[in-house]
Amino acid sequence: MDDGHLLEIRDLTKHFGGVVAVNRCSLVLAPGKIYGLIGPNGSGKTTLFNCITGLERRDAGEVFFRGERIDGLKPHQVAHRGIGRTFQIIRVFPELTALENLLVVTREPFEVAYRRAQELLRFVTLDLLENEYAGNLSYGQQKLLEFIRVLMRDPELILLDEPAAGVNRTLLNELLAAITRLRDQGKTILIVEHDMKVVMGLCEKLFVLDYGEKIAEGPPGVIQADPRVIEAYFGR
Amino acid sequence: MRWAVLAALAIGLLLLALYPLVATGYGIRFMLQLFMWVALAQSWNLISGLTGYVSFGHVAFFGTGAYAGAILVTTHGWHWGPASLAGGVAAVILALIIGYPCLRLKGPYFAIAMLGLNEVMRVLVSYFEGLTGGGSGLSLPTLHASGQIYYAMGAAALAVTGAAHLLITSRVGLRFMTIREDEIAAEAMGINTERYKLYAFLLSAFVPGVVGGFFARDQGYIEPISVFPLLTTITMIVMVLFGGKGTIWGPVLGAVTLFVFQELVWARFLYLHQIFFGAIIVFVVLLMPRGILGVLQERYRLPRTI
Repeated sequence: MDDGHLLEIRDLTKHFGGVVAVNRCSLVLAPGKIYGLIGPNGSGKTTLFNCITGLERRDAGEVFFRGERIDGLKPHQVAHRGIGRTFQIIRVFPELTALENLLVVTREPFEVAYRRAQELLRFVTLDLLENEYAGNLSYGQQKLLEFIRVLMRDPELILLDEPAAGVNRTLLNELLAAITRLRDQGKTILIVEHDMKVVMGLCEKLFVLDYGEKIAEGPPGVIQADPRVIEAYFGR
Repeated sequence: MRWAVLAALAIGLLLLALYPLVATGYGIRFMLQLFMWVALAQSWNLISGLTGYVSFGHVAFFGTGAYAGAILVTTHGWHWGPASLAGGVAAVILALIIGYPCLRLKGPYFAIAMLGLNEVMRVLVSYFEGLTGGGSGLSLPTLHASGQIYYAMGAAALAVTGAAHLLITSRVGLRFMTIREDEIAAEAMGINTERYKLYAFLLSAFVPGVVGGFFARDQGYIEPISVFPLLTTITMIVMVLFGGKGTIWGPVLGAVTLFVFQELVWARFLYLHQIFFGAIIVFVVLLMPRGILGVLQERYRLPRTI
């Protein structure tokens, strides 16, 4: 089943008790593009991320990655297939140093991993802080560390959960440039983001969730004018 | 600096190796118990200090090793050395059986499950009288081997501290620590947390089992309450917390300090040392949750390996 899709989600559904967090959601990602996933608070964006990465068990539906079914796999197995993610609330390893945060996630020989870790630390200008405990870094620095920790494993698909939240403008521009560069290297990126300026400028295609359902998809310009999207965000 | 540390270590080990030549019987027994506590505290550190899974029943492995070793010595005529190693293997097998389901439990639930394990083991050992002598215990044939057990306990303490060093300076040890730091993030970053938790647990069970076998030989007589006391687990925990959990030398420092102090207080006031122990728990938890080494590392920005 290889039809050129990198990720395909079919009719994914997830309940929490009586609440439907994701409702028969389907979407397809082609390789080498930047996608955005938007929607009001509680619309199921993070739950969808969790279902893709195996942190939540879906109730129904299927997820295919490079043609292989990955729903039902454990999170570390999904990660090994080539999907990396960041979290909405920062999840670095606070009592490991910045460098250790990176080294611990790969199985490459130490020399290779060390060189790669140093490159990535330089890339986000954290190289002088490599021996600092991650918990002592500033919020923005931790955010960058979490971002490069994902890159350490060189995943094909990168899921970013609100990468811009709490990051200052200078840092944000660097982050956005880095994301674009990754796309140019052939990576696929799916971003959950509330900052519309970021989403509109960066993404080639958007998916809009509301109450767990996909209510629209398309290029940013079209989505912005879509009456269903406006209604979901601002009410009727 | 590195050479100075290594030289000091080598001299220290040499002095300890030569000590039995000049020591009194009391001195040797004191030191072999000290080694035993270092080995037990350091073993607890491997699971609870590194992965953050707090085991409240670690003495179950000690007791299992003690009984396995003692049974092999009394009914099968084994030498106590191999019998104690077999005790370690028995402890690892128990850890495998109990770890597979229990390591899925989080936080306090794991701690309580381990506490239950200890009680269950004590009851089982009391029940199977034919094998274990039940409540009346097991007597080992008389043997004066304190000198040999001194070296055996010392080797166990050295081995598990060496293992802690290897782990804490390697990526395997870092993976253990990611479980303590953030298990969900570790999983999402491709670390098979279930497997690494189990590895840490099995590693932490082996030496207590071996040391249990040595202890049985040294005491010459064991019974359920003497090798499965909750107080032993609590002592391991307090020693590690006092010295610094998740560090290489913290458990050693904690075991030496507290054991020496306990021995001094014990000799004078029989019950006072329990009050003292309680006071230390409260003091450490409230004022320095990272322990002595943790505080020093933070203040002087030392690496974790010190």
